Amino acid sequence: MTITEIAPRNINISQAVAEGLRLEMEADEKVLVIGEDVATQGGVFGSTRGLLKAFGPQRVLDTPISEMAFTGMAVGLAMDGYRPVIEIMFVDFIGVCLEQVYNAIAKIPYMSGGRVDMPVVIKTAGGNIGSAAQHSQTLWGLFAHLPGLRVVAPSNPYDSKGMMAAAVRSNDPVVFIEHKGLLLKRASDFTFGASVPKEAYDVPLGSAAIVRPGSDLTIATLSGSVRHAVAAAEVAAGQGIDVEVIDLRSIVPLDWNTVCESVGRTRSLLVVDEDYLGFGLSGELITGVIERLGMGAMDYVGRHGNPGVPVPAALSLEQAIVPDAESILAAIMRAGAAR
Amino acid sequence: MVNASWSDRYRLMVLMRRFEEACLTGVASKAVHGELHTAIGQEAIAVALSEHIRADDSLTSTHRSHLHAIAKGIPLRPLLAEIFEKKTGMCGGFGGHMHLFDRERRFSTTGIVGASLPVALGHAYASKLRGSDAVAFAVVGDGSVNSGGFHETMNMASVLGLGLVVIIENNEWAISVPFSAASATATLAERAVAYAVPGERVDGLDVQATSDAIGRAVAHARTDGPAIVEAMCYRFRGHYEGDLDLYRDQGEKSLRTETKDPLVLARAFLSDGILDPVLLDELEQSASAEIDELLASVLLDEQPDPASARDHVFTSGLAPFEGIPS
Ligand SMILES: Cc1ncc(C[n+]2csc(CCOP(=O)(O)OP(=O)(O)O)c2C)c(N)n1
Repeated sequence: MTITEIAPRNINISQAVAEGLRLEMEADEKVLVIGEDVATQGGVFGSTRGLLKAFGPQRVLDTPISEMAFTGMAVGLAMDGYRPVIEIMFVDFIGVCLEQVYNAIAKIPYMSGGRVDMPVVIKTAGGNIGSAAQHSQTLWGLFAHLPGLRVVAPSNPYDSKGMMAAAVRSNDPVVFIEHKGLLLKRASDFTFGASVPKEAYDVPLGSAAIVRPGSDLTIATLSGSVRHAVAAAEVAAGQGIDVEVIDLRSIVPLDWNTVCESVGRTRSLLVVDEDYLGFGLSGELITGVIERLGMGAMDYVGRHGNPGVPVPAALSLEQAIVPDAESILAAIMRAGAAR
Repeated sequence: MVNASWSDRYRLMVLMRRFEEACLTGVASKAVHGELHTAIGQEAIAVALSEHIRADDSLTSTHRSHLHAIAKGIPLRPLLAEIFEKKTGMCGGFGGHMHLFDRERRFSTTGIVGASLPVALGHAYASKLRGSDAVAFAVVGDGSVNSGGFHETMNMASVLGLGLVVIIENNEWAISVPFSAASATATLAERAVAYAVPGERVDGLDVQATSDAIGRAVAHARTDGPAIVEAMCYRFRGHYEGDLDLYRDQGEKSLRTETKDPLVLARAFLSDGILDPVLLDELEQSASAEIDELLASVLLDEQPDPASARDHVFTSGLAPFEGIPS
């Protein structure tokens, strides 16, 4: 990781993603970017800015509002040897094209008996920014439930660029979920992963990172919640609870080694998940740790996240549902009291 | 091979019929344990298609795809073996009859109605990126055309000027719902106007007429942009094998299958001074013998090893539940 020690540039996450894409497109002419407002506008969050100028309108294609068509297009292009990155502007819009994602992109490698790979990146933005029920979901649990998709969600500028590079290079399809609350945050806003080298690099998909080491409680979280968890952990430290914060980075696959090694030390696991709690990441993670470490490995297990509620509009309601530093601290204190 | 000889044409029609009949035996013998859709009665369209599709063109098809695979030049043995759930199948038995993939031949199918059209759009765009005049064919049923994917694909193909040929096999039924109850327009060809592309309806029982219509569409697609051909036909069997087919008038069904069989019509036409009936007999026998031999051979093949059932979820070999009992 010495590479991160180069003098920091104060770019935002969208710029980091765009830079990752640009370098991969330079390296491989088969890489295409397709979606709504990705070309002239450079993406509604700016994460494809500059690509049209660099690579022209054939490789960076503005489409009509036809997600079913352009997502399916990625399937045909992948079969023909291209590596399409399709942008679903908000992850909430996946409902109109999930068909091509879960029945085609995710399953064709299997249905073809391993003969046809699908090097497709489904790049999309999730997470709450006050846009209420239809524009605030994260949905990684939904994608992770479906076989055949790698699912990742970076939390910081360094990972955003490096994981996008790895996603583009992956021969497996990757759902790359950016967090809308992070995209416009600058490197200087981060205490971890703030330094983004100019050159190409990748962050291997499937490895978690310990963002804050600790000995009393393991928090496993990801995406927009990581910085809140770190902030909460700093406060908790002052109150005598030493929290280890793991940024999962990848949901499929989960980095069981990192999580189990940590829980093996702390004997306590709190999963913080902005996604819906039911039938999702938190339940999967806790079950998987028990499967690997056994029933007696933990003294405390808890989860904190969206209790199966559509994200509400009013700030007062939203704050009651979506995890933030304050609510995570409360969850840490509950865990501390229970241990 | 636009100038296909009548003897080749006729033999291919018979071969396609015999191929589908071989599949039917698989249902009876339970070698095929899932559902099966055949295109018996729709052979003339597939033969016409085979006369225009090039090796470098792509073809996406549907749940009723066997004849399209044959038209695209998919080798018969791995095709039949896949339908028969064999390890020697074109997808190793992982796909089955609705999920056929041959990357080199740019061929794929889907069991989701309407979902093949966007995939064809991707092939068409790939041809454009390569500066190639290779065309993307999508063969769909009259039911597909009412899905949103059809609209999105036609609009996008037209606005991007892509070489897409959509062949609609209008067999008048989408399971139990008749075309007349499902389409706002009297024909599907006329929907082409909405996308500013040519559209044509043709008698899909007539090989020559269908071949001519597809030829016009392909010529347009290789240089100018998308085109639609609506080929009229009739589904001879139930929607799937085992479908009681009580929704269709049995009298009409008998009349249609007896008097409007494309093979019978072709034979009658050819016997009238074009080909010697003895030759027609020989062609029929040779096609039947080829399929009989193929079927006998495929039946000897093994099913895939159950220990391989978790393979191929990710082509990288990633196995998220490896080591976890399930
Ligand atoms: C999206 C979707 N809806 C419904 C089905 C179930 N289904 C399979 S085939 C079919 C009828 C299709 O009719 P058509 O497109 O005319 O093709 P045909 O079966 O007549 O060849 C239906 C409803 C499906 N497979 N996919």
